[in-house]
Amino acid sequence: MACRCGAADPDPCRPISQFVLKVHSRCDLSCDHCYVYQEADQTWRTRPARMAPETVRAAADRIAEHVRAHALPAVHVVLHGGEPLLLGADGLREVLATLRATLDPWTALDLRMQTNGVLLDAGLCRLLVAYGVRVGVSLDGDRAAHDRHRIFAHGGGSHAHTRRALALLREPAHRASYAGILCTVDIRNDPDRVYAALLAERPPRIDLLLPHATWDRPPWRPAGAGTPYADWLGRIHRRWVADGRPVPIRLFDALAPGGSAAGGTEAVGLAPADLLVVETDGSWEQVDSLKVAFHGAAGTDLDVFAHPVDEAARHPGVAVRQSGAAGLCATCRGCPVVERCGGGLYAHRWRSGRGFDNPSVYCADLWTLIATLDRRPAAAAATVNGDRGRAARRPADPIAETRPETRLEERPETRPAEQPQMRPETQPETRSETRSETRSETRPETRPRNGQLVDGRAGERPGSGRAAAVDQPAGDGQPGPDAQWLLDELATGHGGPAALRLLDETQLSITRALLATWRDVAGGSAAWELLADLDATAPATVGAVLAHPFVRPWLVRRLERPGTPGADLLPALAAAAAVRAGVAAPVTVPVRAGAVLLPTLGRLPVTGPSGALVTAVPGGFRIRAGPTDRVVPLTAGPPPPPALERVVPLTAGPPPPPALERAVPLNAGPPPPAATERVTAGSGGAPPSPRTAERVPAGDAGDPPPAGWQPVRRVPVAGGEVAVEDTDPERDCYDQPVAPRLAGAAAHALGRTLAGAWRSVHRDVPAHGAALDAGLRCVVPLAADPAAPLRSATARQAYGAVAVTPVPGPETMAVLLVHEWQHAKLGALLDLYDLVDPVSAHRIRVAWRPDPRPVEGVLQGTYAHLAVAEVWRARATAGGADAAAARAHATRYRDWTRTAADALLAGDGLTDLGERFVRRLRQAVEGPDAGGD
Amino acid sequence: MDQTPTRPTPPSLDALTRSLRTPLGRVATEHPDALALVRLRVLPQAATPPVTVPVACFNSAI
Repeated sequence: MACRCGAADPDPCRPISQFVLKVHSRCDLSCDHCYVYQEADQTWRTRPARMAPETVRAAADRIAEHVRAHALPAVHVVLHGGEPLLLGADGLREVLATLRATLDPWTALDLRMQTNGVLLDAGLCRLLVAYGVRVGVSLDGDRAAHDRHRIFAHGGGSHAHTRRALALLREPAHRASYAGILCTVDIRNDPDRVYAALLAERPPRIDLLLPHATWDRPPWRPAGAGTPYADWLGRIHRRWVADGRPVPIRLFDALAPGGSAAGGTEAVGLAPADLLVVETDGSWEQVDSLKVAFHGAAGTDLDVFAHPVDEAARHPGVAVRQSGAAGLCATCRGCPVVERCGGGLYAHRWRSGRGFDNPSVYCADLWTLIATLDRRPAAAAATVNGDRGRAARRPADPIAETRPETRLEERPETRPAEQPQMRPETQPETRSETRSETRSETRPETRPRNGQLVDGRAGERPGSGRAAAVDQPAGDGQPGPDAQWLLDELATGHGGPAALRLLDETQLSITRALLATWRDVAGGSAAWELLADLDATAPATVGAVLAHPFVRPWLVRRLERPGTPGADLLPALAAAAAVRAGVAAPVTVPVRAGAVLLPTLGRLPVTGPSGALVTAVPGGFRIRAGPTDRVVPLTAGPPPPPALERVVPLTAGPPPPPALERAVPLNAGPPPPAATERVTAGSGGAPPSPRTAERVPAGDAGDPPPAGWQPVRRVPVAGGEVAVEDTDPERDCYDQPVAPRLAGAAAHALGRTLAGAWRSVHRDVPAHGAALDAGLRCVVPLAADPAAPLRSATARQAYGAVAVTPVPGPETMAVLLVHEWQHAKLGALLDLYDLVDPVSAHRIRVAWRPDPRPVEGVLQGTYAHLAVAEVWRARATAGGADAAAARAHATRYRDWTRTAADALLAGDGLTDLGERFVRRLRQAVEGPDAGGD
Repeated sequence: MDQTPTRPTPPSLDALTRSLRTPLGRVATEHPDALALVRLRVLPQAATPPVTVPVACFNSAI
């Protein structure tokens, strides 16, 4: 699709997303290795010392113009110099306010600053935090290393000043603005001492920078040394790997295979250089390091007053660095590691007479360093982050501990008869300190689901534990053994315990990956640090929170539209994990629609400020928001201390009425057509509705806020428990209205129905009962609609949940649950494998809908109907007065499944894997349990 | 003309499993490939790679 900028096709359009503003061109240090003042380029001498306000505005306007033209979801603006803090607090505030006011309405503005730290004080730190600026500080190591170069004009060292600045940034109130440390390599320094000194500052990230040099001015090398820079860096790498990679080091991450995508560095790799510099006089310039090449090397003869970003981006010096390997010299293009080093930093290729058409002057060092990294892959690290000890000795997740660890093996008949009832959150008092210590010391082989620790080694997955990725299709198009196994397992209609567990784990892994991505986008925060800290010591607890089905929908929405207004869920996730783990770490949780949400726990309406401070206390949590100061017990324990305002009981109201289960005839009937086949929300059918603002389900905000804590109600069911989720605003992801918080009686009624439905599924088709047990965590009530009283839905991004309208009978609910859970399982499988050709326009006529359907929709319907046919077949086999009707339903669903599977196989819309899956499914249709006569 | 791209390669089972066994704070650095594949797979409509952290070239730790 052509870009909004008007380019004829996507190729010529290369938007710029990174801008460096040289807001002050002078510096309070006189470092002898500075490329700005000490190298070939001396243009700084003729430029204004500071960027004038009108230049800042013009630059901001140009960036905003560019954002709009290219619909950029995010831009990064870096304040640089010279030394940007020479602007002073007032000047800095003016620049930041201008940038925020101009760009925030249009895009996600990521503000950064690089400083020597000399002038940083607490007031400036508060200013940086207030404007969301993340700060990198230059530190070259220990005092001897740092003061070798980074000195004042009077010759004194700046090491103490820089360390004081770093201490300020480490303070909790400023930590969110601490981005990392930049260290310029000098091989005369002791690498061990440098490494230790950098680590002692506890930076979120370290970058190691090769000193600037060109072929005209090569780097210093001891006589006879081959690759001293690789050797020096290799020494640090060895320490870093041995220490378990306690902090990201960008150069090492970027040089790893595929690392350029995550490393985010132009120093190595082939990623396009989408960066422009604005000098203090408003000139557009190429990347700053070019100043080492020759006087005026970075210039473009363009400026922000007269020239838009696109024009500067078309400057040949910028464009050539967006062309990947094609922009490199012949030597580099033929090199086997070119994708790793990318020819090195552009400036380092300069040689008079040949320009930049050379390998890097560090070529031999980069080659050796890459070989070193490959010999010692960082993933081999076995030790842990030193910070992880902070969260040791924590009680384990009380909720996790109450869940059966052998859930998959349980059968309905082995459990006590369920008395459907709503129950509050589980009891923190039941935590075992001894047990928690044990659990906090060891990372489980596999992650938890609903807080359980599951022994992944007990699975039947072939070859599990192998390091190689063997599940991808082989070169001949045949699937690998893991893919074959998983596809075959699930194509039966249900899947065995190991396959279901693997499906569940991969979904959690995807959510964690998206969360880590969000951390990179949003930057570090106290909430992230807490969550990561808890994950290192209480992974079951954090896993239970991240497995909440509505974490991923939130992540997807925010990551797809990063500029969209909306609350940050991360603090709520961290708070929920801390409360569940019993860790008294205060977290400020945003107030959304007049309430504080703790995912998996519940929701508390509050009035007043935009944030509430949540802290775990014994037996519950304390919440402070403006005048509110409450303790919310997670037990029905004794009243709180009298000094606190009030107790918000976690119970869900009065005891439930006596069970009202009644016989539901087998002829309750199948779901109406609307519920029989769909492309699940967000699965590639109709695009989800745009979410330009935070959505709150109708009724969650409009009704008078209830006075107290609204716990997530949990229903004991045959395989454990399931939550009735009516508190989380993110549950509104089904493209149809969800119900507001249910009143007590309605919730109890739904609970009884769900418990009965679960028993019914276990009775009819135990394998499908086990499938529900293995992954279905939440049921979301849909809003009632008299025109369509029976509806159900699955959202592709919300694995672990289904949505239903409350229906009166458990037998009908059982069919809906089985049907929807098939959609969820298949959606999870489609995250892992391409079963459908994405470019196929093939449409198939099916029996259950009047309109021709896309291939994925037919596959979804077929898979759901296979299971529904099994349910009706089991009911028919059980006999009884309604057996004839059940047999008719079974035959109909089996025939639909058979016909649709044949149509899928006859068309051209399936991939090889998809064809294999459907062939197996087709075999299952003819199996003894598949329904019909 | 609009181009409909083929769907990005999904992450492998083993990559996802390994990532799950890694502390959350280290997932991004130890499994960058898996992260990139998940992002491409799950967020095909994201306009720019959100994990791009800029300007390292640029003498900066930020």
